[in-house]
Amino acid sequence: MTKIWRETGFVENDPWVIETDEVKATEEQKPLLGLDELIAKADESNDVGLGVLIKPADDVRRLEPYLDRLEIVAVAFPAFNDGRAFSHASLLRQRLGYTNELRAVGDVLIDQVPLMLRVGIDSFAVTNATALKRLSENRLPAIPHHYQPAVRDADAGKGYSWRRQAKPAA
Amino acid sequence: MVDKVLTANRLTDGIAVWLDANGKWSTSLQEALVARHNEAVAALEAIGKKSYADNEVVDVAVVEVQETNGILWPFRLRERIRAQGPTMEYAPGYAPADPEFIAV
Amino acid sequence: MYRYDEFDHAFVSERVEQFRDQVQRRLSGELAEDAFKPLRLMNGVYLQLHAYMLRIAIPYGTLSARQLRMLAHIARTYDRGYGHFTTRQNLQFNWPKLSDIPDALADLASVEMHALQTSGNCIRNVTADHFAGAAADEIADPRPYAEILRQWSSVHPEFSFLPRKFKIAVTGAERDRAAIQVHDIGLHVKKNDKGEIGFAVYVGGGQGRTPMIAKLIRDFLPEEDLLSYTTAIVRVYNLHGRRDNKYKARIKILVHETGTEELTRQVEAEFAALKDSELKLPEKDVQAIAAYFAPPALPERAEGWENLARWKKADAGFARWVQQNVQPHKNPDYGMVTISLKPIGGIPGDASDAQMDAIADLAEEYGFDEIRVSHEQNLILPHVALADLEAVYRGLVAINLAEANAGLITDIIACPGLDYCALANARSIPLAQEISRRFGNAERQAEIGELKIKISGCINACGHHHVGHIGLLGVEKKGAELYQITLGGSGDEHTSIGEIIGRGFEPDRVTDAIETIVDTYLGLRLDHSENFLAAYRRVGPQPFKTALYGSAAEAA
Repeated sequence: MTKIWRETGFVENDPWVIETDEVKATEEQKPLLGLDELIAKADESNDVGLGVLIKPADDVRRLEPYLDRLEIVAVAFPAFNDGRAFSHASLLRQRLGYTNELRAVGDVLIDQVPLMLRVGIDSFAVTNATALKRLSENRLPAIPHHYQPAVRDADAGKGYSWRRQAKPAA
Repeated sequence: MVDKVLTANRLTDGIAVWLDANGKWSTSLQEALVARHNEAVAALEAIGKKSYADNEVVDVAVVEVQETNGILWPFRLRERIRAQGPTMEYAPGYAPADPEFIAV
Repeated sequence: MYRYDEFDHAFVSERVEQFRDQVQRRLSGELAEDAFKPLRLMNGVYLQLHAYMLRIAIPYGTLSARQLRMLAHIARTYDRGYGHFTTRQNLQFNWPKLSDIPDALADLASVEMHALQTSGNCIRNVTADHFAGAAADEIADPRPYAEILRQWSSVHPEFSFLPRKFKIAVTGAERDRAAIQVHDIGLHVKKNDKGEIGFAVYVGGGQGRTPMIAKLIRDFLPEEDLLSYTTAIVRVYNLHGRRDNKYKARIKILVHETGTEELTRQVEAEFAALKDSELKLPEKDVQAIAAYFAPPALPERAEGWENLARWKKADAGFARWVQQNVQPHKNPDYGMVTISLKPIGGIPGDASDAQMDAIADLAEEYGFDEIRVSHEQNLILPHVALADLEAVYRGLVAINLAEANAGLITDIIACPGLDYCALANARSIPLAQEISRRFGNAERQAEIGELKIKISGCINACGHHHVGHIGLLGVEKKGAELYQITLGGSGDEHTSIGEIIGRGFEPDRVTDAIETIVDTYLGLRLDHSENFLAAYRRVGPQPFKTALYGSAAEAA
């Protein structure tokens, strides 16, 4: 069972679906398109509110002309140790200036969620049982002292320009 | 079929262990239960899988041995060193491996 | 040396608690091994043949006496009474219990140490010249930059799951004592014509299965761009490094397959976008960090000169030790002492808890409380007054670490090998011990001169055999150990990868082969001042092949 989590809590009725041969989006759902598909659709239509799934080998910079047409970008972690999506997320937020929903999909585990949050990912498709449990308890294994700036806004860390301190929870 | 034993490392302390005749993990290779036919090996592997899933051990593997005069001798040098420890004096109070056992 | 501030202390405590939680979840079964493994690797916990192995980070190889004593305490309390210093300036313990490791890490945190990122596919310990801040030939101290990189790379959210491990080394002299050209990133701190500090940047060096010498991609990177440029390199690597094949996943393969020019273009493009970002280093921050590395106030000790001459005349052993193990310091009243962890017939790089405590005492009394770990598995007291050399020597004699063999044939580098390591194909340590005993005679060693033997027990090359003057690579052949010999490797500023010279040798024939190589060298060198490496570079492999294998046709 996969649930969608954001820092505000689990999300009900999430419309986004990754289509496969077996699974297609229903009337109420919306497909997360592959990068080439998304570009084709955006070029051929006036559709807005689209969703795209960025795979690790994709060049996320190709999204630049289409950002205002996107409601969600999902970045894939097919294996939790495939760290390319951390760079995709960083580039999307910092280089391309993307501001809408950025979702981690794939092998999302609790120990990586704090790092994902720091690179600007703000929603998570979670299947792992331990991760679901910890998220429902809001127990993230995070370290609030950071030794480097990242996407997520943080306070200046004491001592040196590269340090940051996580902002206190709202 | 070559004789086989089941080995792993204990989760808590990482120490190399072998499955003995009582279904317990022993720190001595010489206590290991020997599987002499395919069914016995399959049974060993099943125990190993369960023990891994039960978080008792990690790195479970089947090791080929030969039994001579009751002594179990792994064919691989690596496994002989695992059974006996480092092959030189490395710390006071810990005996090095027996060179004859280690030898090819 | 760097001292933790409140921020650092808080971070390390948080990290210890985080790992304690992860260990507890693992032991209770809530966390499975495949999810736990990358987490434990990020905390330096390996599983080896006999037990777990804990690798402690010693940032750029620098330790205080207090820290060394804590390492001794950990050896005593949680392990079997000894530790092993590595070719990346770290320390390894071979027998810790997983259940004890959080406590050991808490003990380390109390003295500003940790085991963070000494393993796993992340940025590892940044290493530096072990004579930094003391060497007479130093242009600029590499350590402040190593410290800045260390901080910046700690739990970096974008770079915690790279294609593979990532190693950075920094040097600040023309002589490269940090082997920067066989690192993923090598930095040479230098000054331009205006006296400004910057870096020559090398990328894509490495050993292992496919040894490669790094490419110079930037001749002079201004100091303030250090973090932006490094981010650019690591980001390009994170996105494009291969993830399909563990043996082709280092950045050296990416450089090779992409082409140096194209890869440089990608890095420079990424850097252009980052150059003016918040990663730019303010001068005041660099100075604040550099202040930690200000040299200690070294009192004048002119009496050292006269005393030294007298002691040397009185004790030939002491004279030999000074000759071989003491290097020139910036301050002429002082010397840099190499404590050889290669006693004849001993295990290279190992030290007992008692030896560590004794060295800590010596460092405190005579060494301004500073110890270094070299990538050649020795310890250094970088600041010792000549006037105190005799006392230090006596202290080392008392703990059996006064061998006068720094850089000589018995100063062997050896990985743990098949005696410990789950990756190994062959043993390294017994071979090192045998070679050491064969060549143990002091006069003979002095006669042979500088000769660096490096032994690896498998292709991963943790013994750095590719850059050994004589390299030995242990392989497995038909269930038995076999050793390939390479010649002419070097990790200094003229880096070269050693050349395989022929068929491998069985364990009981290796030492004789080394003798043959040494005798051949002695027979053809111009004079004593032409060391082995220089002679090899002059004559090439042929004389050695002929000596070992007979006619050229016999050589494999």
